[in-house]
Amino acid sequence: MGKLVDKAKAALGIVRQVNRERATEMIEFELKELENIFTLLIMGGFVGMPSPPAPIAMELLPLLEREMNIMLSRSDFAQDPLGAMMGLLEID
Amino acid sequence: MSPGYQGIISMRNAFFLGKGGVGKTTTSAAFALAKARAGKRVLIASLDPAHNLGDVLGKKLKDKPLKVEDNLDALEIQLSAWVDRYLKDSRDEMKETYSYAGALNLDSFFDIMKYSPGTEEYAVLWAIEHIHCELSADYDIVVYDTPPTALSLRFLAMPAISNMWITELAKLRERILQRRQVVTKINPASPVASSCVDKDDDKVYGRLGSIKRRLALLQKLFSDESFVSVVINPDDLSVSEALRIKEELERIDIPFSAICVNKRGMSKAPWSLDDRLAGIPAFYFEFKPEGLRERDDLMKLDTHDLADAFDAAAAEGIR
Repeated sequence: MGKLVDKAKAALGIVRQVNRERATEMIEFELKELENIFTLLIMGGFVGMPSPPAPIAMELLPLLEREMNIMLSRSDFAQDPLGAMMGLLEID
Repeated sequence: MSPGYQGIISMRNAFFLGKGGVGKTTTSAAFALAKARAGKRVLIASLDPAHNLGDVLGKKLKDKPLKVEDNLDALEIQLSAWVDRYLKDSRDEMKETYSYAGALNLDSFFDIMKYSPGTEEYAVLWAIEHIHCELSADYDIVVYDTPPTALSLRFLAMPAISNMWITELAKLRERILQRRQVVTKINPASPVASSCVDKDDDKVYGRLGSIKRRLALLQKLFSDESFVSVVINPDDLSVSEALRIKEELERIDIPFSAICVNKRGMSKAPWSLDDRLAGIPAFYFEFKPEGLRERDDLMKLDTHDLADAFDAAAAEGIR
């Protein structure tokens, strides 16, 4: 009986987690976009975009490891941003 | 760099701007010398990469204050050394933060940064910050002999321009932290939860704040605690440049305190000050055909009226 209760609890936990993931999916997507834009704004000078004076970028650069990783991973589907969005919204 | 501006509110600074060759160094040195001989403790600093302040004062100068005579110290800022020092700090911090830094060939990257737009202007700002925070407490007046107009206007404008960027970046960062907070609250198992969610703990937000504070204090130094004189010669070219300086200073909210007309009488051609500069106090310095060969010769330039205007401006809080 105890095992059954544990399994049921575990199953409920999974369901709860899945729901949490789904609830935050869109916010996380937006968050990654914001972090990507933030890094692009700071690093833009290195690729010819308008950007703050280079010394400001230099001051922030050592603190942007996470954001730089996101920027690099975002560049993977930079060719197909609509596709990524449709995938997120589960539209075939 | 750790700014220590506290307690230096009454500090007064005099900047001498103008076209190359009009006599900024001579005028600023004459002003500094007159003030020092009147009993004020004066530091004169040359920010011009092509230094000749040492030649004018008759003393070999370094990037630390050296005594020229009683009450008068002088230094020549080495901009390239400031750029190198700053890039070294950034390089060390990068190497500490990024474990894979060795693979990035950072050294060559930082060598290129030396030539990046904005780096030289920032080097001037760091040098001024250093003088203001670390040295100025020992003096009554700090006089700055500036580089030619283009670089001077860029470094004077830099705090205002950078501040706009910092403000927008800080707003964006706040939105990011807000989203992180929401995700962490709803889904603590998300990878986002392991990142910073609070403004007080976020290093990037903190760094933006510290840059903003430093720039705001420099902006205040330029706008509220400085007497800005523009040196011209009685010719059309330097007047045109003075007009451009006036326009730019108005745009970045820095007072145009005085015009110093240097080498008056050098040319016999009729000349009068442009009407557009008429509202600004003008001070005239006669051309000395025999030249100014020694430090004492600087006293031949009568800076009394300029010194009085400086004192009056200082007394009423510059503006």
